[in-house]
Amino acid sequence: MSSSPLNRTPRGSRLIAVAATGAGLALILSGCGVANSSSGGGGGAGDTLRIVLPQEPPTLEPCEGSLTATGIVTRSNITEPLVERNPTSGELEPLLATEWEATGDTEWTFTLRDDVAFSDGSPFTAASAAFAIDRAVNSDLGCNVEGYVFGDDDLVVTAVDDTTLTVQTVRPDPILPLRLSFVEIVPESTSTSEKVREPIGTGPYTIASWDTGTKLTLDRNADYWGEAPSYAAAEYQWRSEGTVRAAMVTSGEADVAVGLGPDDGAGELGVDYANNETVALRLSGDIAPLDDIRVRQAVNYAIDRDGILGSLYTEETKPAAQLIPTGVVGFNDDLETWEFDLEAATALVDEARADGVPVDTEITLVARNAQFPKVTEMAQVLQEELTQAGLNVKLTMVDTSQHLQHQLRPFVLDQGPIALLIMHGNQAGDAQFTVDQYMRTDGAQSAFGTPEFDTMLEAAGEKSAEERAAAYEEIFAYQNEEIVQFATIAHMVGEIGLATTVDYTPDAATGDEIRLSDFVRVD
Amino acid sequence: MWTFLRRRIISSAVPLVVVILGVFALARLTGNPASLYLPLNATQQMRDDFAARNGLDDPLWLQMANYIAGVFRLDFGTSLRTGEDAATMALRAFPATLQLAGVTMLLAIVLAVLVGSWAALKPNGIADRISSFISMAAASVPDFWLAIVGIFVFAITLGWLPTSGVASGASWILPIATLLLRPFGVLVQIVRGAMVSALSEPYIKLARSKGASESRVVFRHALRNAAAPALTVAGDLAVGLINGAVVVESIFGWPGIGKLMIDSILQRDFAVLQAAVLVTAISIFTLNIVIDLLYALLDARVRPAGSMRKRRVNVPAPA
Repeated sequence: MSSSPLNRTPRGSRLIAVAATGAGLALILSGCGVANSSSGGGGGAGDTLRIVLPQEPPTLEPCEGSLTATGIVTRSNITEPLVERNPTSGELEPLLATEWEATGDTEWTFTLRDDVAFSDGSPFTAASAAFAIDRAVNSDLGCNVEGYVFGDDDLVVTAVDDTTLTVQTVRPDPILPLRLSFVEIVPESTSTSEKVREPIGTGPYTIASWDTGTKLTLDRNADYWGEAPSYAAAEYQWRSEGTVRAAMVTSGEADVAVGLGPDDGAGELGVDYANNETVALRLSGDIAPLDDIRVRQAVNYAIDRDGILGSLYTEETKPAAQLIPTGVVGFNDDLETWEFDLEAATALVDEARADGVPVDTEITLVARNAQFPKVTEMAQVLQEELTQAGLNVKLTMVDTSQHLQHQLRPFVLDQGPIALLIMHGNQAGDAQFTVDQYMRTDGAQSAFGTPEFDTMLEAAGEKSAEERAAAYEEIFAYQNEEIVQFATIAHMVGEIGLATTVDYTPDAATGDEIRLSDFVRVD
Repeated sequence: MWTFLRRRIISSAVPLVVVILGVFALARLTGNPASLYLPLNATQQMRDDFAARNGLDDPLWLQMANYIAGVFRLDFGTSLRTGEDAATMALRAFPATLQLAGVTMLLAIVLAVLVGSWAALKPNGIADRISSFISMAAASVPDFWLAIVGIFVFAITLGWLPTSGVASGASWILPIATLLLRPFGVLVQIVRGAMVSALSEPYIKLARSKGASESRVVFRHALRNAAAPALTVAGDLAVGLINGAVVVESIFGWPGIGKLMIDSILQRDFAVLQAAVLVTAISIFTLNIVIDLLYALLDARVRPAGSMRKRRVNVPAPA
């Protein structure tokens, strides 16, 4: 046979094929490790706390700490704030600041610790605190924290001396210290023109390594000013499926699994706790037929809360009468949930129809995929129950981005009346954060309001600590009686998977912060 | 051959550009992603600032022009989510998917060839029916379900394998097995069909009558002629694998480009999405070119256009 290159011998062809395969395999398996990950690992040394999260933190920038995916790693672990809210008692506790008081109508003064250093050795002083607050709140970085707790107002922050800091607000702000509990303190060497992915802080842990995509490791800070935590290191991994996270704990690959649902299979290793999330339907009370209060009341009567929760969720999931759970300032203990009364609901709808209200207009019930466990089932039941009351309801499941278009101003305007299934978490601990958003006429997530209600809301916001609770309790009662923008459904329960070697009691903040110092190893 | 390559590269460039610009435009038509990145209580001013900071308030043609200018400078933009360089993120994630897809495809081909040939030796015999059933089932099973069941059976119940992650060699097994099944199922059918027709050719009878051993008949003679259609289908399936194994990567925490793409879509992280699409598209076009070349090498009847060589039919050498 000729040996011209295009007329290969069978043996020649085979050789080429084998060579190609071999080269391909070699290239692919180079190193025999998976690309984009460091080799081996899986330490499991008893002194390392292995945590699995639902998603990788996009960044560890402390001023994005109010973003759950970031804050769950940074807050009180790598960085610390001046004061910290106790999620159970609701009280503010000293951390980098030892004392604080209102020294004027629009001024607060903080006394700071003098024995703290950042993990790079630089000392923590009032100047660092001033810098960090300024950077988070007043700069052009566009920090998440700025939008979450401070809005458009700037603060004037002054370091009077090394241990004294004054903060001046534009308006009287009785809860300024609470707001500052969201600002994590960073050294003055931190960039003010860019966000940083791996920050320096004063906390009990420092970043050891971040294998982007695969694993994040924190080491105990040997020079930490406070009590040394139990675990010498923490390893974070992430899996988007709840069943896989639960499986990692039950099979011993992880010690802590965050964000589990009731059906994820954690079994006895799953610990339930009341997170601070509340599920509700928000009704567009400015579009017919939802602009008639009888129709909105009918929606409330038509929902069988006990039935839904009993069949879909655990016992600890309780029906809700207001948008905040117990523990948040302003929670009204005396409010009762709407009773399930289909006859009353139908009667109200019929009455409205007789008065000419167009109750047959199609109402769209909008819910977000995977927003919480069994959201689809709950939405389907709601749609069915509202239909039984005589309303014309269509269900639409959407993704996060579309859901937000319905949730935030300017709303989706050309789709008729909307019943939006929302889940609201108030991790700040004061009703103002909920009420300003959801109940003011111009609130970012409020479909409508009234001028009288607005006045009540404004007044409540300026009340001092002793009077706030009562003012807000009245507001929630007023909402249920006179406004009825919401059909609140349930105070949700979260589940965390814990290995038997870990001693930890979850609290309302567990979904947003995992404070490593709270975990103790038991042998 | 070089003419062929040059022509294919040029003709691939056009769809590549269309894909990139198409993704660019479609992604931005979903609106300002500010609400995904800013807290819910952010003011309108903050949302406007976000859009301005990221160039999202410019008209679409201007954004596209800036992007193309950036591409020529090898600047593919920054991630809205992490602040990192988009190209770095895409290139860092891609090899992991390539490893997964490459090993899966090789195994699928080898196994399909073995099983398909075995089935083709006696059409409609027991072996054929069994393999037909298995391959049909394999091609129909949803990979999401298979992955979860695999974890449940092999990791939780039996404890033989890790549930997920990339920590050890054993963690390759479940992801590859999950990803392997569908291509294997499809390829078995193709190989079987091609082998049945190849084995019924007259030259096979000739080789057998000359005393060639069965394995020589199958592997040396028939398979070479059955390889071409199998290769084409394998190429299609490989493209599907590269393009994401999204489900497998998400479930097993495999740090690949499929997961990167789905996260970027959900978070409207435009720059990373575009970079990931670009990397994937280039590799798919390259793969298609390689397949065409292999196809031409294997099947003497199909030569790249422009070849002036005399064509010869592949006649088996005397046994």
